[in-house]
Amino acid sequence: MKVWPLQFRKLDENDFLFSDDAGAFFRSSEAFLTRYVENQLSESDSAFLRRGGHAFDDIGDPAFVGFASRWTQRINSATPLGYVILVPTLRCNLMCDYCQVSRAAETAKGFDWDETKLAQVLALLDRQSTAEIKIEFQGGEPLLRLDLLEAVRTFCRRKFAISEFVVCTNLQDVSEDAWRFLEAEDTFVSTSFDGTSKLHQTQRTKTATAHEQFNANLDAALHRIGPARVSALPTLDPSDPPEPTDVIAAFAARGFGSIFLRRVNYQGFARKKYGLDRSHQEWTDYYRRFVRALISHNATAENTIEEYYLSHTLRRILQGGHHNHVDLRNPNWLGVDYLVVDFDGRLYPTDEARMVSRVGQIDLSIGSLNAGLDKERISLFNLHASNFDDPDCVHCVYKPYCGLDLIDDLSRYGRIDIPSHQTEHCRSHMDLFDFAFELLYSDDPNVHKSIASWLQVARYSPMLAQRHS
Amino acid sequence: MIQLQLKVDPIPIVEPLVVRLRTSLPGSSTTTSDHDARMVSHDTETADFDVNGFSLRVHTRHYKSLDGDVVLVVPGRGTLHRLIRASSNHNTLLITEQCDQKCIMCSQPPKKYHTDMFDQFLQAVALAPTSATIGLSGGEPFLHKARLLEFLRKSQSARPDIRFHILTNGQHFEPSDEASFKSLNMASILWGVPIYAADRSIHDRIVAKQGAFEILERNLALLAKAGAVLELRTVVLNANITELEELANHLTRNLRFAHVWAIMQLENIGYARMNWDAEFCDTSKEFDGIATAVDLALARGLRTKLYNFPLCTVPRAYREYCTLSISDWKQKFLSTCDDCRLRSSCTGFFEWYPENRGFSEIRAQ
Repeated sequence: MKVWPLQFRKLDENDFLFSDDAGAFFRSSEAFLTRYVENQLSESDSAFLRRGGHAFDDIGDPAFVGFASRWTQRINSATPLGYVILVPTLRCNLMCDYCQVSRAAETAKGFDWDETKLAQVLALLDRQSTAEIKIEFQGGEPLLRLDLLEAVRTFCRRKFAISEFVVCTNLQDVSEDAWRFLEAEDTFVSTSFDGTSKLHQTQRTKTATAHEQFNANLDAALHRIGPARVSALPTLDPSDPPEPTDVIAAFAARGFGSIFLRRVNYQGFARKKYGLDRSHQEWTDYYRRFVRALISHNATAENTIEEYYLSHTLRRILQGGHHNHVDLRNPNWLGVDYLVVDFDGRLYPTDEARMVSRVGQIDLSIGSLNAGLDKERISLFNLHASNFDDPDCVHCVYKPYCGLDLIDDLSRYGRIDIPSHQTEHCRSHMDLFDFAFELLYSDDPNVHKSIASWLQVARYSPMLAQRHS
Repeated sequence: MIQLQLKVDPIPIVEPLVVRLRTSLPGSSTTTSDHDARMVSHDTETADFDVNGFSLRVHTRHYKSLDGDVVLVVPGRGTLHRLIRASSNHNTLLITEQCDQKCIMCSQPPKKYHTDMFDQFLQAVALAPTSATIGLSGGEPFLHKARLLEFLRKSQSARPDIRFHILTNGQHFEPSDEASFKSLNMASILWGVPIYAADRSIHDRIVAKQGAFEILERNLALLAKAGAVLELRTVVLNANITELEELANHLTRNLRFAHVWAIMQLENIGYARMNWDAEFCDTSKEFDGIATAVDLALARGLRTKLYNFPLCTVPRAYREYCTLSISDWKQKFLSTCDDCRLRSSCTGFFEWYPENRGFSEIRAQ
């Protein structure tokens, strides 16, 4: 019997977590670790490893093929362009404290696509040979240029067999025409709601009148479009976050089933105002407190609520696949299946890359509508797309579930060769995975109920939390 | 119950005849073929079709339901077989009745002799409605592997729009078959393969073949490498109800390449009728054996479905996994179902389901 390489991490006094490259995991003791390292596996060790898919006899035997197929499912293979973020205007009718990427005044000139740019965007979409496309309209406030949104949507519906549209809007001013645009079945609304009304007004809407307007529009969106096609994301300041129960109550009251907790991303104007991020621990503590509060809420709630990124992490741990989030996939191809087109026609691999570039910190653009994609730059990015051969990742127990985030490294450190374990991306994901496994191995029935609802299954299975003595 | 065979007046043919019945005259945009038999007259009991100049009289009171059906008439027999019913999603071609396993729940017990009908089946596929899914079943179809692979190749080349659902016990593949598989459009074939337990001795006992599990595992891996879209099928029995969770573990570890896992209730016909009292598991009373398996399989990302489970026998939280799996021609509902508001989304019961020896909890919802 041959055992696939196992990575491990000490969890507490007694236990280690083990995982193989295909993502199967279990808890066991230091005694087992010693037997494993010294090649002294017992009969019961062998039986356990076989049953868990951690071993095989011959290359190509069923256990080998089974492992290979699970390993393959964890690989994000490069797929054709299928997700495009469009920024038709940089102008906005709000001025939030931490605006993600500089903005222009509502009346400013020269911050919108002109006719030529629109034609170039449509031509770029027309060159794609895929059957499916997802378009995300970002800004600025995209609803200020409903005409451009209409033009893109009409074109995509004709060109692609399946198309979906997400409008990232502050829901501040929504005309009747805009409502009709948003009500279409293939169109989704993503807005910001900072957890509590008080906080939202302080950070975003500022005046009572403007805030009332937002509130009414959010209610109208839920009423006219329905909670299935409306999502709201809170942006929180780790040094002064709202009480988790208040945020949960506010989201529950509106019928939301998902909260994607984001801390203020110190880029754009925000970086100038708040300075560098020194709040890692504060955020980790808050995040845990928040999820614990969610679990309490879900224990009795009829409609449970998830923290999106934690659910996503659990699905990646247990199931593989789930390559749809650009912050967490492996390899993390840049400029391949996902593209951002800015208001000025510049192309970026991710929205974060656009932000970092806009503040003039480093130019992460990968071409422009005029010049096309810069293949050389894209190849450079993708030299370091996977964690397979990253010297700091190869022995990590969380490697099968994780991935690299080059853009985050570049934005924080201006280079990509910082040892992984010193990067914010690694540190925050180590915390997240530690927490996810803590929950998976919990004996608390309330935790089990939440995990089941986050995975959208009827019940938590104790078999998910394998143990070996 | 929908009739799959109809009485015909014998016709003077020497070879089996495959034709498509047409009761309404197709419009100019519809292509017709030499194999179309147009209805020329009818009364309340019969319908007469013109088959290239001679007359075929079919005894039916519902001639309209035959429009577009692809039928087979065998020389010297007074019967017409509706091979592919145009109005149905449940069409299966019985490739052979021979089999090398004798599963204790077999609904179609094996017979010794085989009649090769591949030429007729190929003709039937050519006449099938656009984008139809056609089941290929047995017996064990791959006992006639060379002919079956040839049939699949020719069918796919004549009708690339047709999808096949092949039921096979997975015992008859060799590494040398990989090339044949790869020459097929594997994306339009669903391979339904039974597996009853992760414990080889239990599986072997259920299929009554020593060593079957080991061959099955090897061949599932072989199918996976050839890019097969796999449906693993597990009939629930008293013999394996306590093994399902461990089977879920095995499938999600070693056979995770499967596209879907179908957990199936028993059909009271064939060997299953004989073994019903010993093997029927009343899951309306105790569902936990299935629930624990579904919980684990889904959490690990394996699509899992429940076939042949009436909705009222399944706890609410698991009903979304039930499918309308019972074929239209052998489906029935009970008198209890008359007032049930879930009836239209329920698979119902097999025609031969024994009410007095079946589920203890059948209730209108």
